[in-house]
Amino acid sequence: MNREETIEKLKGIVKPYIQNQEAFDNLTESTDFIKDLQINSANLVDVILDIEEEFDIVIDNESMEQMVDVKSAMEIIGTKLSKK
Amino acid sequence: MIGNDIVDLALARKESNWKRNGFLDKIFTTKEQLLISNAENPEVMVWNLWSRKEAAYKIYNRQTGIRAYIPTQLACVYDNENSGSVQCHGNTYYTKTEITKEKIHTVAVTQQRDFSEIKMEKPLAKIHKKNGIPFVNYARDAEKPISISHHGRFIAWVAMD
Repeated sequence: MNREETIEKLKGIVKPYIQNQEAFDNLTESTDFIKDLQINSANLVDVILDIEEEFDIVIDNESMEQMVDVKSAMEIIGTKLSKK
Repeated sequence: MIGNDIVDLALARKESNWKRNGFLDKIFTTKEQLLISNAENPEVMVWNLWSRKEAAYKIYNRQTGIRAYIPTQLACVYDNENSGSVQCHGNTYYTKTEITKEKIHTVAVTQQRDFSEIKMEKPLAKIHKKNGIPFVNYARDAEKPISISHHGRFIAWVAMD
């Protein structure tokens, strides 16, 4: 899976939880889940669970810590996929 | 230092399915999950503990400048439904929680005595943010930290007098 495919998949995952459409439309790797997309922090768990299901990976607590923006999420997904 | 978090229970019901597989494991310690499963109203316990963690995290974030998603590392020490503390990396944050049918509101402080110096009205002075963290300028005073929480129908401001 290349970066574009991963980011598209990730966009599809976060979409139901976003509260700022403009930030979502202009999503880049530096987009912050909470500050920019205004995802409720309790819903960030849903994003993480959806990522686990969609990519068939397990996100441990250590990785979860960094799950605050698109860039970190992409890195974590990449690392976990490469270990599969 | 202060932090606060408000949960609109009706909105939480709509936004989150806490019974979802894996949800509780990602957020709560084993001890907290036991509190939830033994609670008379598990849903209220979920949001009670969650609001404590969020309120405490706001102080932790202010103190350390660290931004991280660490719900299980913010461990609740539950005294009763209205009071307790949260432990995070050697820090203790004291919490007071108010529960109504409609909402759950937690205020966290670093010193127990700070509870008596809390102001909860909407400030008339201007609020500004530094690195996403809000401060308020009271007349002639230096800027003071303020914590703002907004969820659904409710908004709460907490500052130190």
